[in-house]
Amino acid sequence: MSKITVLLLIGLGVVVASQTTGCRRRPRADAGIDGVGAIAGWDGDHIYGEGLGPRFGEDGQYIEGQFPAVLFAFDSAQIAAEQRAQLDEVARFLRRNPQSRMVVEGHTCEVGNREYNLSLGERRALATRAYLIGLGIDGARLQTRSFGQERPAVFGHNEEAWRQNRRAEFVVAQ
Amino acid sequence: MNYRPLPLLAMLACAVLIGAAPFGSAQRANAQIVITKPAGEKINITLAPLTADQDPASALFMRTLRDNLNRSGWFQVTGAGQAEVAVSGQVQRRRDRLTVQCRATGTANRREFMAQSYHHEAADARRLAHRVADDIVQAVTGRPGIASTRLAFVGRTDQAAELFIADADGEGMRQLTRDNNIAVRPRWGPTGNVLTYTAYLRRFPDVFWIDLDSGQRRILANHSGLNSGGVISPDGNEMAVVLSKDGNPELYVQHLRTGRLTRLTNTPHANEASPSWSPDGREIVYVSDPGGRPQLYILSRDGGRPRRVTTRGSNVSPDWGPNGLIAFSSRIGGQYQIALLDPQTEHIRHLPMPDGADYEDPSWAPNGRHIACARRENFRSQIYILDTAGDAPVRLTTQRGNWYSPAWSPQ
Repeated sequence: MSKITVLLLIGLGVVVASQTTGCRRRPRADAGIDGVGAIAGWDGDHIYGEGLGPRFGEDGQYIEGQFPAVLFAFDSAQIAAEQRAQLDEVARFLRRNPQSRMVVEGHTCEVGNREYNLSLGERRALATRAYLIGLGIDGARLQTRSFGQERPAVFGHNEEAWRQNRRAEFVVAQ
Repeated sequence: MNYRPLPLLAMLACAVLIGAAPFGSAQRANAQIVITKPAGEKINITLAPLTADQDPASALFMRTLRDNLNRSGWFQVTGAGQAEVAVSGQVQRRRDRLTVQCRATGTANRREFMAQSYHHEAADARRLAHRVADDIVQAVTGRPGIASTRLAFVGRTDQAAELFIADADGEGMRQLTRDNNIAVRPRWGPTGNVLTYTAYLRRFPDVFWIDLDSGQRRILANHSGLNSGGVISPDGNEMAVVLSKDGNPELYVQHLRTGRLTRLTNTPHANEASPSWSPDGREIVYVSDPGGRPQLYILSRDGGRPRRVTTRGSNVSPDWGPNGLIAFSSRIGGQYQIALLDPQTEHIRHLPMPDGADYEDPSWAPNGRHIACARRENFRSQIYILDTAGDAPVRLTTQRGNWYSPAWSPQ
């Protein structure tokens, strides 16, 4: 898929999402990429919150680790430009497997307050979900789950561990 | 209960006391405030005229009473010579019961603050000592004691985070959950026998409710997405909670009986977290980060326009105390410290930092004077008790491990 197609899809998603949710948008970037080349959900830090569908994934089989994690900057839920290829990969899988559903897990590093980090992790998961919806995936197939700082991918109290722990993971629910 | 440090000039105003109740069955002395001192200054109290028999339960009672009075913040237990207040009477073991006859008297004027007798299971001597200590504190200072209160908190291993509970002096610690799961931030309901917290028992973060009397647990909020920060209102009818079901973490109020939800925030640019009710239940303080960094906001329980009350640094985990002050964790520079906010004047007072550690997740004691918090150093936490009137911090958890997110019971 060409870059232009992706941008068009994202642009379309913005229009649809803002109409369906009725959220007022901040007067800034129109669609997709803001000044620093990052997407948060869509346009920086505004997740066009499409409500979550009925929960799935409370029981049953699931597959972890099929896709690499998407990494985030400190205190940020913006999807950086270099992470987008991975999300394209996830979207491709979901398009090819229309029965598959996915739980997007949001995580933070151990810096900061635990309960605030739960919200921050959820926002990362929601931004990731919003990006996938922008690529044409039905939001009803995507649940979110935040672990905050409670489940680090890498144990260790250093910058490198924290960098790897600020992430969204993808769990395929069968 | 209001607590404010008194001006220095008001030092040692010894007000006159009220009539005493005679010894008898559990009868309370109806004393009002009888000794008022600046909060930093101690009332010297002696237990020398309180005689105990040789039984181990009596000895445990005496040890616990002495410790509780010292921990109350208002007293210094001393020898008979310097004492301003004397506790006299008898402690006796009779079969499986402990009997305590106890009288607190001003040494200068021989006036009686309280006189009461107690009977309790000898096996539970510590609880009896807590009760006597609280009655003495109440009778002599007019302030509620905290010896009978409890703290709930989280204990962490690499694999799991479970809920624990302990007496306010750190004794009697027990593990409440054994789920091999992740428990997050417990909070007490207003009656003091209920805890709400977040856990992943169904793989997702849901809000649970534990009845400590019956040991029963039930789910309070399990919407799609995040359910966290659940805290019961002072009237017990509602719960403030952070949910992301509508596409972004937002603050809601859930009616407990009907389940009806009212959404209070609409911030597509921000996260909400950590609500705490005002003592009258009319307002909620919470965390939001529309400017990028987390700050405290106050909102009417009925919604409307939130008021931002912090500006510098990062400010998280507010707890609105019974004295009207909001304790929170403030990071300015690299370190978290505990700060107090007066929501009327918006004046902020940072508690003095005793060392370079991080102090987080404050929770007010019901006396409006002490604060439990997590002290973190080298990425491990222990629970500490801070004194807003200036006494040195006291460590509550003595076992090795990682302990955090304390919640002080309301009674």
